[in-house]
Amino acid sequence: MIFRAVEDADLIRKARRGDVEAYNLLISRWERRVYNYLLRLVAHREDALDLSQDVFLKAYQNLRKLEDPARFGPWLYRIAHNEAYSLFRKRRPAGETEELQPETMEGEATVGGNAVFPIEMTLAVSAALGKLNADQRETVVLKIYQGFKFEEIAEIVEAPVSTVKSRLYTALDLLKAELAPVKRGVS
Amino acid sequence: MSCSPFDLRDYYFKELAENERRQTEIHVKTCAHCREELDRLRGTEAALLTLPDQEIPQRIGFISDPVFEPSPMSRWWAAFWGSAARLGFASAAMLSIALIVFSFTRPVPQVSAPAPASNAALQAEVTKRVNEAVQKAVAESDARHAHQVAELLAATEKRNTLEREALLVRVQEYLDVEKKRMDRVILASNDYGEQR
Repeated sequence: MIFRAVEDADLIRKARRGDVEAYNLLISRWERRVYNYLLRLVAHREDALDLSQDVFLKAYQNLRKLEDPARFGPWLYRIAHNEAYSLFRKRRPAGETEELQPETMEGEATVGGNAVFPIEMTLAVSAALGKLNADQRETVVLKIYQGFKFEEIAEIVEAPVSTVKSRLYTALDLLKAELAPVKRGVS
Repeated sequence: MSCSPFDLRDYYFKELAENERRQTEIHVKTCAHCREELDRLRGTEAALLTLPDQEIPQRIGFISDPVFEPSPMSRWWAAFWGSAARLGFASAAMLSIALIVFSFTRPVPQVSAPAPASNAALQAEVTKRVNEAVQKAVAESDARHAHQVAELLAATEKRNTLEREALLVRVQEYLDVEKKRMDRVILASNDYGEQR
């Protein structure tokens, strides 16, 4: 983990000096994670891809403003968060809750062509995540799928840790209630 | 509601401090209710993780095209403005240069002409006040000195008078004694002449 962080920092230093290949290597390490974060947030593949490209472009343009290269991850997600919420504002007037109708994704429950999870469960999870508001959904994605610590999430979404916890635990209670019937049916 | 000493969900997500984690762990071993709560959390997380990550449909990458790359000057300029330390140093240097230039090229003040007049008046006023104070002090000193001299003279005169009077008394007494002695001599002489 530490070795990886040092390598990222080295790539960032090279990219700051104008080494585009070093930056492309850095992108290759983070693009899948950032894309999936955005996909779960906006529930639209093309939007998620467009936003991902914008995120990496803005990150490149602002790389010199990153004071601590070891904090590249939360810094990158902060940009991604801003991009996603800009899209939400364009989609809907401010103040309204962003509820999503997730796309039906073919092959969602397969890895390498083999069925891994029951399709009912993945569909139910997609639907349940879509019923959360944008803040709750983002917190679940950052904690459960991206594995950030509460302090890092607070930095990304620019909110106190207590707010982050409150959003996550409320969301988990809602998800538990939504998914309970499906879990019983699957088992 | 959990009976755990610390938030069971914080414990589950490994967000407790080491001592808090240990206390919660001990509690969970003996509390069936909390174990069930942890199982529910685990179940919810497992359900969420059935949603796998998607492959990105198109790789993201930038090309290194000299046309779009910033020139070395632009890069230096961007780096300059991006670094607070360099910016601070440059600001300090510019301020120093400005101070030095100003000190050499400072214009002669335009309103300095009336200054000597006001200075002279001020100096005259000061001199006047000083002279007055000196004169007053000298006068007071002279008066004090004259008074002391007068007192001294009076005392001396009085003492002289007393001494003179005492001398006169003593002279008178001496004359009286001498007169008596002469009288006695005359009487004795007369007696001697009559006897002869």
